[in-house]
This record gives sequence, C-alpha cells and structure tokens, in this order.
Amino acid sequence: MTLPPSQSETPLVKVRDLCVRFAGTPPVHAVNSVSFDLAAGEVLGILGESGSGKSVTLKTLLRLLPERKTTITGRVEVEGQDILSLQGRALADHRGGVASMIFQDPSLALDPVYTIGRQIAETVIRHEGVTKRDAMARALEMLELVRIPSAKRRLDNYPHEMSGGMRQRAMIALALACRPKLLLADEPTTALDATVQIQILLLLRDLQQEMGMGVIFVTHDIGVAVEVSDRLAVMYAGSFVETGSVADIIRDARHPYSRGLLAANLVGAVPGTRLDAVPGAPPPLSALPEGCSFAPRCAHAEAACGVSPIPVWTGGGGRWARCVHASRAEAAADMGAEL
Amino acid sequence: MSTPILSAHNLVKHFNAGGFGAARKVVRAVDDVSFELARGETLGVVGESGCGKSTTARLLVQLLTPDSGGVRYDGKVVGPEMPLKAFRSKVQMVFQDSFASLNPRMTMIDAVAFGPAVHGVAKPEARRKAQDLLERVGLDPARFGGRYAHELSGGQRQRVNIARALAFDPQVIVLDEAVSALDKSVEAQVLNLLMDLRRERGLTYVFISHDLNVVRHISDRVMVMYLGEVAEIGPAERLYNAPRHPYTEALLAAMPSLDPDRRTLEAPLAGDPPNPIDPPPGCRFHTRCARAFEPCASRVPVSYALGGGHVAACHLNTPKEDVA
Amino acid sequence: MAVTADSIAQLATVEKSRGYWRSVGARFLRDKVAVCAGLVAAGLILMAIFAPWIAPADPLDGSMIKRLSPIGTEGYPLGADELGRDMLSRLIYGARLSLFMGVVPVLIAFAIGGAIGVAAGYLGGWVNTITMRVLDVLYAFPSVLLAIAISGALGAGILNGLLSLTVVFIPPIARVAESVTTSVRKLEYIEAAQASGASSLRIVRDHVLGNVLGPIFVYATSLISVSMILAAGLSFLGLGVSPPNAEWGLMLNTLRNAIYVQPWLAALPGVMIFLTSISFNMLSDGLRSAMDVKQ
Repeated sequence: MTLPPSQSETPLVKVRDLCVRFAGTPPVHAVNSVSFDLAAGEVLGILGESGSGKSVTLKTLLRLLPERKTTITGRVEVEGQDILSLQGRALADHRGGVASMIFQDPSLALDPVYTIGRQIAETVIRHEGVTKRDAMARALEMLELVRIPSAKRRLDNYPHEMSGGMRQRAMIALALACRPKLLLADEPTTALDATVQIQILLLLRDLQQEMGMGVIFVTHDIGVAVEVSDRLAVMYAGSFVETGSVADIIRDARHPYSRGLLAANLVGAVPGTRLDAVPGAPPPLSALPEGCSFAPRCAHAEAACGVSPIPVWTGGGGRWARCVHASRAEAAADMGAEL
Repeated sequence: MSTPILSAHNLVKHFNAGGFGAARKVVRAVDDVSFELARGETLGVVGESGCGKSTTARLLVQLLTPDSGGVRYDGKVVGPEMPLKAFRSKVQMVFQDSFASLNPRMTMIDAVAFGPAVHGVAKPEARRKAQDLLERVGLDPARFGGRYAHELSGGQRQRVNIARALAFDPQVIVLDEAVSALDKSVEAQVLNLLMDLRRERGLTYVFISHDLNVVRHISDRVMVMYLGEVAEIGPAERLYNAPRHPYTEALLAAMPSLDPDRRTLEAPLAGDPPNPIDPPPGCRFHTRCARAFEPCASRVPVSYALGGGHVAACHLNTPKEDVA
Repeated sequence: MAVTADSIAQLATVEKSRGYWRSVGARFLRDKVAVCAGLVAAGLILMAIFAPWIAPADPLDGSMIKRLSPIGTEGYPLGADELGRDMLSRLIYGARLSLFMGVVPVLIAFAIGGAIGVAAGYLGGWVNTITMRVLDVLYAFPSVLLAIAISGALGAGILNGLLSLTVVFIPPIARVAESVTTSVRKLEYIEAAQASGASSLRIVRDHVLGNVLGPIFVYATSLISVSMILAAGLSFLGLGVSPPNAEWGLMLNTLRNAIYVQPWLAALPGVMIFLTSISFNMLSDGLRSAMDVKQ
C-alpha cells in the first residue's frame, strides 16, 4: 500500500493556471489553464489521448520545451521554487537533481555510444561532484535497484546490447541516480510487451515507495493508471476535465469524456456488444471551441455548454469535474434528497 | 461438421539471420502452426514480440511462402487447387500502420478502387463502389475521396484501409494489430465498425492483437502463440476463465488490474520474451515456466485435446493414464 | 448496379485536394536560395538557347592582333582568347555544349540506371544481388578515371564523350534507385497491393514508380554539375569536345598558358563552370528539401 500523502503545507509540485502556447499560424494552445498540487510521495496519473497536452505538461516541469517557440504563463513551483524562471546552472541542477523524466522510448534517454555504467556515473558526477569510482559504485547500486540481473556485467554494456525491458530499467536507473524528489513518467510502458509492462509497473511502484518520490505518470491506458496511481486527472484538449482518487474515477466518473474513456478501455463491457464509443475526434489545439471543448462530441451537450466558464462540480478533497451536466445532475440529486 | 473456411496446416517459416555454415543463425519465426477458422467466426490471436503472429498472418494471406505446410480455403489447397488471384479476392488483410498502408501519392478513392480494378471491374464502376464503401465506413466520399493519406487522421486512414479490404467482397479479413496504433476512443469507434460489418456481411475475422481485453471482446475463439508455436487455442470465455497453458495464465495475469483495491502484487514472468533464434529444446516455454517438470525440457508437447475445441500444448495436460 | 447519370455527377463532386506536386511546388517557392539558383540555372539555359541572338560576335572568328586582349578592351568586353576570338561570345556559345554535356548524359543515365535500379530493388533476391554487385564493380572506379578510360578507348569526340559520361553515371543512379525502391517495397501499401492480386508490373507502375522517381530524379539533378565538370575535364585532356568548338572546359585547356599573362581572362571559363555547377546543385538541394517533408 502506498503511504498517504504527507500533510506538509508546501506541496511538492504546485501548478496554477498553466498555459502553454506554441507559436505558429495559427498558434497551438497545448495546455489551457491547468492547476494541480502534488504532495510529496504521491502518485498522480494523468489520463489522456494524443493531443490532450499531457506530454507538454510534463515537459514544462523540466523546461524541455523549445524556448523560442513556446509561451508559458502561470505558476509552476517544485519544492517551493519557481521553475519557469530558472536559468543556466540552476536549471541544470533542477533537471536530474530535483526532477527527472522517463520516456516511452529508452533510446531517447540512452546515448548509444556510451556504456550504461558510464552514463549513470556521468549524471552522478555532474550533480554530486563525487569521484569517478564512487560514481561507478552508485551506478552499480542503481542497476541493482532496478533489478537488472548480472548488474556488474551490465555496467559495461551498451544500450543496443540489452533487451527492451532491460533498456527501460536502465533508463529508470539513470533517471533515479541522483535521487530526485519528483519523477515524471511519459508513457514509459506503452511500447512494452504485456509481461514486461507489468514488471516495470511493479518496479516503479516499489521504487516510488522506497524512495518516497512524487510521481506524475502520463498514460492513455486505464489499467496502467490504476496500477500505479493514487489520484487521477483526466485530460482533454489541454485541460483537466476531472480529478479524483483512482477509485472515484473508475467507479464514479462524472465527466462524459471520462466515462467515454472508461468505455473505450472496455471497463464493464460485455463481450460481443457494441461499445459506448465517443463519436468524432478531439478538436485541433489551434482551434478550440467556445465553452466546453468536449461539447461537440458529447451526448449530453446543451446550450449552456457553449458558454465559458463551465461550472465545476466538486466532491471535496480534490475531487471535481468541469461539466455542466455533472453540476446539474448533482444539483438535481441534492434537490431530490431534500424533498 | 462443415469445412472450415480457412485452415492452416503445419506452417513453417524460418528466416536467415546472417552467418555462414556452422555459425548460421536462423530465426524460427513460425514452427509447425496449424489452426482452423469456421465460417463467420472471429479468431483472436495473441502473443508477445517474437511469437510469430504477424508472420503467421502473412503466411495465411499468402504474402509469404511457407517453407513447408500449406493453407486451404474451403478445403482446397491454395495454389494447386485454388488459383491465387481468386484466393486474393476472398481473403484480405488490414495492417497495423495505417499510414504506411496507403500509397502517399494516391487519393483515397483511387486507393479503394484499385482492388476491384485489378480484378477486372471497369474504372467508373470501381470508383462508384469505392465511394459507397467510403460512405459505409463513415467517411463522406465528397470530403475524403480526393484527399491524400497525410491529410487524414489515424482513425480515418484505418477506415480507408478497411474500405479497401471490403472492396474485394472478401469472406475473410485478417486484421494484424489493426486498432493497436489508434487512440482509445478512436479504437472503440473502429471496433464498433468492425463488429457492425461482421454482422452485416457475415465476415470471418482473424484478429491479431497484443491487447487481451480487446481480443476477448471481439473474438469467439482465441489462439495464444509463443515463440513461433501455438500454445493454446479455445473458445474465448473458456480460455480466459480456465486457461490450460502456463503461458496463457501468465499473459492473463500480466493484464493491469482495473480495480484499485486489488492491484497486481507480483509479475507473473521475469525477463523479456526470448528471441526465436535459439529456442529452448522441448517445450519452448519451459525455461520461464513455474510449473515445468520432468518431460518439459526434452519432449515437445503435442496439442492435448481438452474437449470443446480447446487445445493446449502443455505436458501438464497429459491424460492421467499416459503418465507412466 | 449500372453507372447512372446520378453516379457520374456524384463522381464529379469528389473534392480534389491539393496534390502532392502542388505542395512541393509551394514549398520550393518559399525557399529563396533554391528559387535564386533556379533563376540562375534558367538564365544560363536561356543564354545557351538564344546564343546566336545574344552573342555580340562570332565565336569562331579570330584575330591574331587581338589575341589575349584583356577584359574591357574596346569591342571585346571580356577580352579575347589566345586566337583573338571574343571571350564573351565564346562563353555564351560555350554554354550550349557545356550544358549539353552536363544534362544529356545524366538524362540518359537516369532512364537506364533508374530502370535497372527499380527492377533490382523490386525483384530483390539474387537478381538484386547480382545486378548490384556488377554495378559495384563499375562504381568502384573513380568517375574521372573511368570517364577518361572509356573516352580514351573510344577516341575523342562529343558522342564518345557523352557515351563515357553516361556509363559513369549509370551505377550511382542505379544504386540510389535500388535503395529507394527497396525501402518502398517494404512498406505495407506494397504488401496490400500484392495482396490485391495485382501483377508485379502493375504494382511497379501504379505504386512504386510514383514514389521513387522523385528522389531518384533529385539525385540525378545533383549529378548535372558533376557531369559538366567531368566533360570539361575530358575536353581539357583533349578527349570529348575538340577545338575549335566553344566549350568551357576546352577553353580552360587552351587558355592554360595564358594564365601568367592574363590570369583573369584564363579564369573566366572556370567561373562559368563554377556558377553553373553551384546553381544546379542548389536547385537540386532545394528540390530535395521541398520533396522531403511529409506534410
């Protein structure tokens, strides 16, 4: 079981009204007014499909977006420090030292011309200034931590000499080498076979508990999100549309898109029957509709859905859904209870 | 019992992976695979990387020639007893990569009309048929017919690929991870389309996928492959509820849990799926099997019949009388 | 169902989207360097075509008194060569032969090498291996040496020069053709076409050619400048074009000795070769970038 989030005043990550816009004709609004907190030691799963802005949100936390093309507004704080204004050395210290990222494709993180041991050692030396020998010892420690068999031999392996699952573990070892407080995971298991995926998910879960890291895990697979997350946020067209604990979202999703996503993941589906598929496609991020961006595809859409701001239904304790229908249904249920 | 519409008999396909003489490396992609497909049923095929499901699909559709073994359509051996071109109009395939499946220089309507034209349909007629099909798969031909592949989304492209397969009026469609690369909500739409088409046209599907949930939803029977061999085949519900091969059990256990109160506690298998270059002797799964026992390392398991069309290639299913 | 007037009307309403070549053209026009290069190349070609009307004097008309007149001499804007012929006119007329020797071998090699490469690429297997290895033997020779060897064996003259250059360019073009065809062949749309029961010839015609001719053509255009320089080299050595024809390479040869007396004059044909090569090179580069981007 995961530890309950600590009750400190400063959450590990604090994001307020984050908006990310990419220059272009027309400009692309990748992230639209996203706000959330992440407590230390907590795992937040961001559920969304392609074009929802989930990867961009992660990259903002590490400032990995192209500087010239991107306009970022809002506040992003990690451990109380403003990330958006970091420059130079402070930024380099942040990346890998405070926050780290793992990707879907390990070849994005692993340099093919250096051995694994050398790459991990290099990170350690950069962030902690230790000797080469100590750094190599730490590299060995990390490879053992991610349960790579024959770790000592693997230190001298190049990435291409390892299988897919092992490369993924090596990438995790590299990301965790300097004990970051925050781990960002961008669909790290999407390209893996089923039996390897579950190994990596369990590994991540164990490591997270052991090291007490905060984790933001982005995925489009609900099963994966359920296995690793404490809380879930459903993302659509650049904004969060619903958040809550994993149990809340799986059992009692309020937003029609969340329900559509659950149906598409075959949650509760009877074999052989037609699925409750959401028709149409997500809107282009360069031309978002007025009001609720999901309304054009929503079976419950009404006139009020085209008018901003969309009312937010809250269930207390970080549970909310931005939806006219959800707010109205709750209000009707309340009224019914009163009568 | 009626003749299966499509059947594979002892298909074998090996590929050279370099090396000469004694050091020659051979990828045993498909090793003695047999199965049958009844008219109108959907056979789901599951397995991980290196299991040979894609190679089997291509052998089935005659895009690859087997080293030995054959494929029969309606009982007739393809080639000698059934001309290849006629077979092609009966059995079609939809691939995983929706973009690579379409000629970048062809409009969508031309892409769909190509098939009928090859089989002798006059051009205007073929185009009209293409328009009807585009409409049927949910794409307005006036808007999408003149477009090129790069102007469509993944889901739209895959619909075009389905229309293209349907243009032959086939009996069987092999879907090789056809929905795997799509977003979940688009995948659901395309699955609905496939199920509707199946009902309307009495189609038979071979549905290859790595997603066990989707396979269970759409299949009547399921075949599990491991390292080029068939581990288990059987009716979908039986296989999912009471698997009789340890690999099937492991695959099912590896599915992420959808219940936050009952998360997976232990990974069913360690390590990566192995390479089919040097498969282990005897039962290919025995090196990773928790229940391996005496015969597994030396004797290749036969397909033990378990009744009701359920077959598993595992020594654990040896009938009690045979155990000496 | 019969083809009715209704359905024909329907066919007509299929909206034609912006074709591939239109978007290539649009992208190309946005690349200023490529457009400039294109204009220069076009200008040179026009100059060659309209030489008789543009050139101030007869390129073959010499005058021993005016021999090696410097640039800017009255009546000889760019000077006179070692036989007193007007340099400007010779340079203008020279474009004809030089461009001819640049473009024609490449065009012919494109047709022949392209066909060989596409066939080898599509058929694969041992046909591919044998064909490509035989071509590799030719490819192994440095192009200059090969051109000289063939030309030398056949003798001087424009036709022989053309022949030797064509042979030099067939292997590299075939190589590129084979490589592009092989990568296209692996794509699923070729598999789908095979699964449709179409014959190999039909598949190559309808699916392969449209997708490979572009890159092969672009590669071929990058060889135009090489061909020009090789032709110039052949003339320089006395093979290929022979005097008194105006051809830049030949002019470089005959002006060789004048380099101590009139260096600027002697360099002029070289400048023309340089200008032409660079503009054709940049043109083909621009074409390649315009065709490269998917969407």
